[in-house]
Amino acid sequence: MAKAKEIDVRHYDVIVAPHITEKSTLLSENNAVIFKVSETATKPQIKEAVEALFDVKVTGVNTIVQKGKVKRWKGKPYKRVDVKKAIVTLAEGQSIDVTSGI
Amino acid sequence: MQISETKNDGLARAYAVTIPASEIDSRVNDEIKRIAPQVRMPGFRPGKVPANLVKKMHGEAIHADALQKAVRESVDKVMTENKLRPAMQPSVTLGESYEQGKDAEVTVELEVLPEIEAPELDGLKLEKLVVPVTDAQVDEALEKLAEQQKSFKKAAKTKKAAEGDQLIIDFVGKLDGVEFDGGKAEDAALEIGSGRFIPGFEEQLVGAKTGDEKTITVTFPEDYPAENLKGKEATFDITVKEVKVPSETKIDEEFATNLGLDSLDKLKELLKGQLEQETAGLTRTQMKRSLLDTLAAGHDFAVPPTMVDAEFQQIWAQLEQEAAREEDPEAAMKEIEAEKDDYKRIAERRVRLGLLLSEIGQKNGVEVSQQEMQMLMMQAAQQYRPEDRERFMEYVQNEPMAAAQLRAPLYEDKVVDFLFDKADVTEREVTKDELQAAIEAEEGAEAEAKPAKKKPAAKKKAAAKKADAEGDKAADEKPAAKKAPAKKAPAKKAAAKDEGDKKAPAKKAPAKKAAAKKAPAKKAKAD
Repeated sequence: MAKAKEIDVRHYDVIVAPHITEKSTLLSENNAVIFKVSETATKPQIKEAVEALFDVKVTGVNTIVQKGKVKRWKGKPYKRVDVKKAIVTLAEGQSIDVTSGI
Repeated sequence: MQISETKNDGLARAYAVTIPASEIDSRVNDEIKRIAPQVRMPGFRPGKVPANLVKKMHGEAIHADALQKAVRESVDKVMTENKLRPAMQPSVTLGESYEQGKDAEVTVELEVLPEIEAPELDGLKLEKLVVPVTDAQVDEALEKLAEQQKSFKKAAKTKKAAEGDQLIIDFVGKLDGVEFDGGKAEDAALEIGSGRFIPGFEEQLVGAKTGDEKTITVTFPEDYPAENLKGKEATFDITVKEVKVPSETKIDEEFATNLGLDSLDKLKELLKGQLEQETAGLTRTQMKRSLLDTLAAGHDFAVPPTMVDAEFQQIWAQLEQEAAREEDPEAAMKEIEAEKDDYKRIAERRVRLGLLLSEIGQKNGVEVSQQEMQMLMMQAAQQYRPEDRERFMEYVQNEPMAAAQLRAPLYEDKVVDFLFDKADVTEREVTKDELQAAIEAEEGAEAEAKPAKKKPAAKKKAAAKKADAEGDKAADEKPAAKKAPAKKAPAKKAAAKDEGDKKAPAKKAPAKKAAAKKAPAKKAKAD
């Protein structure tokens, strides 16, 4: 990413990774991409970060917190970490190549 | 795919092949389509990964694969379209500027096998020198055998040991009054006059009786293998336990039965067979040589230089090894250096004969059957440790190159057998010495280029030396084939080991026999 130097580094703290699954590839029909984002990120922050990092126009952000499962190890229960996912809808005609990573 | 010939010089050919990018691309896509249903990726059900993702993940590898395949196919196409018969593996180079999405430029360089006209086989005339085994020879062998079976009888207590008697002794060797390692034995059997002990030892025991105790002084010879004993004077305290006299072994029915045979006649027959086998190897060698000479004389075609080179390198390496072993490596080196040209000629002759033989074999449908191959492999595996044998078998099975190398000698033998069958063979009885002389003489003739610089007197030595070298070669070449370093191209199949075979008849005889026996049977069937 050639522009990376000019981009504020805090954006990289917001967006963790693209979330590539069967379902997320289906969403590309609606011009949306899914990212794993920081637990503390807000929708405006996500929007700002995606626009800055990928040089696109974002029309909407929906977020989900996927709760970590409760597992047991040696009988003792523990909890896997929660993951916040953001479904970012882009303006018409724009796209992000998610597979190249951040 | 565009193919253009860039070089056509003698047997060397070169082609430039252009493979368009679109072709490679379509190959890549086909491959992706093929593997997509099997790709697993986290986040997707198996086989549901979209093609573009697959391409992203494995694209590089698939592309490299596809390119390689395309190149290989193009080379094949070059071969078939131009009807080329490569002598060795063609060297294929990809243009340096190649990158993904561009046309691939490939240059193929190779040497073709010369067009060989299958020689006329009908007019072949050969002389078979047979060495008849006389009864006298059989008797002689029988006597030798009896000698080995010599038994000793206990003699009277008062009998004094004489030459030819056997003593059972205990002895302790001392060096300056101190016992040395290995100088002690109990109940050792010693035959006086057999010369098995150090000189002087046996002689001093003549006249000993049972129960005698004696101290003798002997000097170890200068060339004694043990470093600390060389040339030293030592004393041996000897106790004679028994004196035995030899008992005559009579050659009769009993003697034969003792050896586990039915009768004396059987034994004689067996010995005769053995003697015949001995000379049969020589006979075959001689026949093969004259056959090859005839073939070589009748044919002269250009042979691929790389093949000659490879053969020559082999000979050369062999010679160098030998030279290094000699007493004066430098002089030996110089000698073979001086004869380099001759060895080159030999290499060329071998290659030419090899090509010729394989051509004849092909034309006449000589084949090595699966069974024979199996046998060959077993034989080859014998020389490895049992635990390695399986690995070796597997290796041969998986490496066509290795298998070809194993097959080559047998194939050659079969072709030669075939030719023997075809040829007019006139038998002539000779003595063993004559046969030997015939082989040597031909060897000299074959190396006609060679003795040119040698004086006639030295000729024999040269021949002998060469023979020696060749004998080793055969011995060498065999294990080489077995280890199969995959050095030889399969095209060399019957690469001429002609001379080599000749000097190691004894070694190869069993294998040869088997082949010889089978081949005619097979041919008979074919007829």
